[in-house]
Amino acid sequence: MIFRRPAPPVRPEPDGPYPPTDEMLSTPVPKDEQAAQTKRLRAVWDPPTGWRYWSAVNNTEVGKWYSLTAFFFMLCAGLLALLIRLQLAVPENELLPADRFNQLFTMHGSAMMFLFAVPMFEAVSILLLPGLLGARDMPFPRLSAFGYWCFLIGGVFVLGSILFDAAPRAGWFMYPPLATEDEGPGSDIWLLGLSFIEVASIAAAVELIVGALKCRPPGMRVNLMPLYSWYVLVVGGMILFAFPPLIAGDFLFELERSFDWPFFDPTRGGDPMLWQHLFWIFGHPEVYIIFLPSIAIVAMIIPTVARRPIIGYSWIVLSAVGTGFLSFGLWVHHMYTTGLPGLSLGFFSAASEAVVIPTGVQLFAFLATLIAGRIRMILPMLWIAGALAIFTMGGLTGIMLALAPFDFQVHDTYFVVAHLHYTLFGGMVFPVIAGIYYFYPFITKKQLSVRLGRWAFWLIFTGFNITFLPMHLTGLLGMPRRVFTYPEGLGWEAPNLISTCGAFVVAAGFAVFVWDLIRPKASQPQIERNPWKAGTLEWTHDVPEEAWGMRSIPHITSRYPLWDDPKLLERVDSGRFYLPDAPEGRRETLVTSVIDAEPIMVQRVNTPTWLTHLAAAFTGGAFIFPTFHLYIPAIISGTLAVATILYWLWSSTARPPEADTKDAGLGLRLPTYVSGPDSTGWSAMWITMLGDATAFASLVFGFFFYWTSQPDFPPSGAEHAALGFVALAALGFMVSWALTLAARGLNRRGQESAARGALICGPIATAGGLVALVYAVLPLGPTTHVYPALLWAFAIWISAHGAVGLIMQLYCLAGSLFGKLTPRYDADLWNVSLFWHFFLISALVACALLGPVARVL
Amino acid sequence: MTEEEHPPQADEERHEFSADADSLWRLTLAPATWALHFVLCYATISLACARGLFPVGAARFWLLGLTVLALLVIGRQGYKALKQWNVLDTGALSHPDGRAEDRHRFLGHAALLIAVISTIGTVFTSFPLLLLEGCR
Repeated sequence: MIFRRPAPPVRPEPDGPYPPTDEMLSTPVPKDEQAAQTKRLRAVWDPPTGWRYWSAVNNTEVGKWYSLTAFFFMLCAGLLALLIRLQLAVPENELLPADRFNQLFTMHGSAMMFLFAVPMFEAVSILLLPGLLGARDMPFPRLSAFGYWCFLIGGVFVLGSILFDAAPRAGWFMYPPLATEDEGPGSDIWLLGLSFIEVASIAAAVELIVGALKCRPPGMRVNLMPLYSWYVLVVGGMILFAFPPLIAGDFLFELERSFDWPFFDPTRGGDPMLWQHLFWIFGHPEVYIIFLPSIAIVAMIIPTVARRPIIGYSWIVLSAVGTGFLSFGLWVHHMYTTGLPGLSLGFFSAASEAVVIPTGVQLFAFLATLIAGRIRMILPMLWIAGALAIFTMGGLTGIMLALAPFDFQVHDTYFVVAHLHYTLFGGMVFPVIAGIYYFYPFITKKQLSVRLGRWAFWLIFTGFNITFLPMHLTGLLGMPRRVFTYPEGLGWEAPNLISTCGAFVVAAGFAVFVWDLIRPKASQPQIERNPWKAGTLEWTHDVPEEAWGMRSIPHITSRYPLWDDPKLLERVDSGRFYLPDAPEGRRETLVTSVIDAEPIMVQRVNTPTWLTHLAAAFTGGAFIFPTFHLYIPAIISGTLAVATILYWLWSSTARPPEADTKDAGLGLRLPTYVSGPDSTGWSAMWITMLGDATAFASLVFGFFFYWTSQPDFPPSGAEHAALGFVALAALGFMVSWALTLAARGLNRRGQESAARGALICGPIATAGGLVALVYAVLPLGPTTHVYPALLWAFAIWISAHGAVGLIMQLYCLAGSLFGKLTPRYDADLWNVSLFWHFFLISALVACALLGPVARVL
Repeated sequence: MTEEEHPPQADEERHEFSADADSLWRLTLAPATWALHFVLCYATISLACARGLFPVGAARFWLLGLTVLALLVIGRQGYKALKQWNVLDTGALSHPDGRAEDRHRFLGHAALLIAVISTIGTVFTSFPLLLLEGCR
C-alpha cells in the first residue's frame, strides 16, 4: 500500500511504501553506517550518570526503581504480618497492646494492597511493556517518572506513620463511623496519602493504555498482541472505573474529617453505607486489577515452557475482558451482612459465581497449552505450578463465600482471611515471583540461582500452606478477624500456633529469595540473549545492556516473531527496520494505529529531568500538609505543583518540531507532529477524563443513594441552591465551552487573532460561571445536614475542574501569543477542547442536580 | 490491502469514535449490556425495597422482561460476531496470522465468546428474580 500525500502538504500524512517487502528488508546496511547509527542512538538514550542518574526517565530505570520500591514495601508489610502472627501465637498474649495491633493489621492490609500489589502491576508493566511491544520507551516517560516519585513519597509517608505510633488503625477499608470518629491523624494519613498514590496509579493506567494501543510495532494487529498487552489494556480500563469511586469517597470522607460535613453521620442525614459502597466498588475490581496482570505474566511464560504457541488466544482475551466486566458486579459480596434486601444479595451472589467462568477459562487454556506442548521444567514453571494449585484452592473457597448464607456464618472470621490469602498468593505473589525469575535476565542481563530459587519456592509454598490452611479451621471455629488476642479453651490455640510457625517459614523463603535477588552477580558470565528460547519480542534485547530498547523497530507478522521469523533478530540488530538512527539527537518511538498498527507518526519522547521530582514533591505537599490541618502550606504547595507541571508541559510537550516529517527508515516518511485523535496526548486526555467522569458519576451516585436510602432527602423545607445563580453558572460554562471550540476552529483556519479573542473571552465566561456557582451554594450550611454538604461538595468538585479548564484556556492563549500554538501545531487546543467536552457534561449534570432535580425529588 | 484508509475528514474526533475505535468497542457491547441490566436490576430492587416506590412483585416482573430484552441484544451481538468470525465457511478456529482478514475474524471470535459469557452473566442475574420473593 502506498500512503497518499495530500496536496498541498499542510498536515503531512505518512508517505512511502508500507508494509515493507522482504526485498526491502534484505537490503544490507553498510557496516560503518551501522556503527555510526549505534553511536548516535547510544548517545541519545543512555541514562545520565553519577548523581544525575536519579533524573533518568527511561522505562528501564523507572521500572526498576518502581518494582524495587514496591517490593521493599511488601517486605515491610510482611514484617508487620510477622508481628501480628507473633501476637496471636498463644492466647492472652501481652506482646503487643491492642492499639498497636490495630495499626499493624490496618497497615499490613493497606500496604500490601496500595503499596505493593497495584504499584507492582504498574512497575512491571512499565518495565516490560515497551520490550514486549518493540517500543523504545513508554509514550510519556516523564509521566511514569512523576508517578514513581509520587508513589515513593506517598508510600514512605503512609508506611512511615507506623514508626511514630500514628498509623491508621480502623482496618484497611476505613469504615465509618470508627474511622471518621478516630482521634489522631491516622485516618487522614490513610485518606490523603493513599489518594495521592491513587492519582499516581491513574497516571500509570493512562500511560499503559496509550502504550498498549498506540505504541505497538508496525504490523502488530490486535490479534497478534502479546497476551500481556491485552491484560494491560483491560486492567488499565478497570483502574479507570474502579479507582475514581474511591477517590470520590476519599474526597467526601476527608471533608467530613476536616470540616465536619456529615456525609457518613446518620444523626445529620448521612449514611456510613455510602462509604462501604464506594469503597467496595473500588475494592472488588481491585482484586482483579491485582490478579489479571499477574496471570498475564503466566500467559507469557506458558508458551515458552510448552515450546508452542498459546492455545485459545481468543479465549484468553474473552477471559480478560469478561473478568474485567463481571468483577464490577461483585462488590456487595463484601457487604452481605449489612441488611440489604435478599434479592439484591442474590444479584451479587449470581455475578460472583459467574465470574468463576472466565477466570477458569484462562487456567484451562494454560493447561491445554502445557498438555499439547513439550514441557521444559524451568524454574519459573515451578512457581506457576504452585500458583495454580494455591489459586485454585482460593477460588474454591471463593465459590463458597459467594453464597450469601454461607458467608453469613463465616463473615469476619479467619475463614475469610484464609480465602483472601490463598487468592492473593496464588493469583499474585507466586505468578509475580515466577515473572521475576523469568524476566530477570531481560531486566538485569543476569541470571538468578536455580538452587536458591527451588529453596525459596519450597519454603514459601509449604510455609504458606502451614500458615493459611489451618486458618480455614480457625475461622470455622469462630475466631473473628482483627482481635488482638483471644481466650483459652475455644480450640483456637493449636491452629494459631501452627499458623505462626508457618508464617516464619514463609519469611525464611522470602529471605532466601531476597538474598538471591540482591547478592552480587558481577562475576557471573554473560548470559545468553534468549535464555528460555522464547518467541516474543522482548527477547531481542541487547546483551550487554543497551538503553535504546530496540536497535530498530521491526515489522511484525506473527504472535511469536522470534520463532516464526529466523531473520528477525539479525535484521533488528543491523538496523534494517524502522527508526534505526537518531540523526536529530532526539529520543523517538513509533506511534501506530489502534487496530492494525499502521505507522502514524514518530513520537518524540522526553529526556531526563528534575521537574518530575519537583512536581511530585509539591503535589505530595498538597496532600500531606492537610493531614496535619496545615492548609496554608498545602495551598502554597499545590500552587507550586500546578506551576511546575505547567512549566513542564510548556517547555517539553507538543513543541513545534524542527521539520514536519522525517525519514523513519525503509522509505517511509512520517509526520513528527500530530494533533487531535491520532496523537498520544489526545488519547491520554480522553482516558484521563474517562476516569475523572467516573469519579464525578460516583458523587452523582451518592446523591441518588441518599435519596433512595432515606425517607426524607432532600429534607422537606430544606434550603436549596439559588436557582438563578445555578442557571447563570450553567450558562457561563456553556458559553466558555463554545468559545473554546470556536478558538480551535478559528485557529485551524488561520484566524489567529479571532482565536485569541475567543481564548480571552472564554476564561472570563468560565470565571463568571465559577463565581455564580459559589454564590448558588454560599448561603447553605454544610455542617448542618448531608444535603447542603453534598451540594457544596458538587460545587467544590465543579469549581476545581472549572479552574483547571480556565488555566488550560489561558495556557492555549499564551501558546498562541508566544508561537507554541499555531494553526499548524494545535495539539494543545485539541486536548483542551476535549477536556471541555467532558467538563461541560459534568458541569451541566451538577447544575441540573443543584437546580431543578433537587427541587423535584 | 488494508481497509482502514479514509480521506482526511473534517471532524476527526467523531471519526475516532466510529470507524477506528469500532472494532475494539464492539467487544465491550455485550458485557456493557450485561452491566446495564445488572445496574437496572440492582437500582430497581433498591427503589422498590428501600424507597418503596413500587411493589417488588411488579419490579420483578418488569425486570424479567428487561432480562429477555437484554438477552436479545446480546444475542444479536453474538450473531453478528459469529458471522464476522465466519467459522462455518472457513473452518478456521484460530487466527494467528498477520493479515487484515485474520484480525477481522479474530475480533469476531472474541466478540462471540464475550457475548456467550455475557449471556451466562445475564441469565445468572435473573435467577434471583425468578427464585426469591419479596424484599427479605
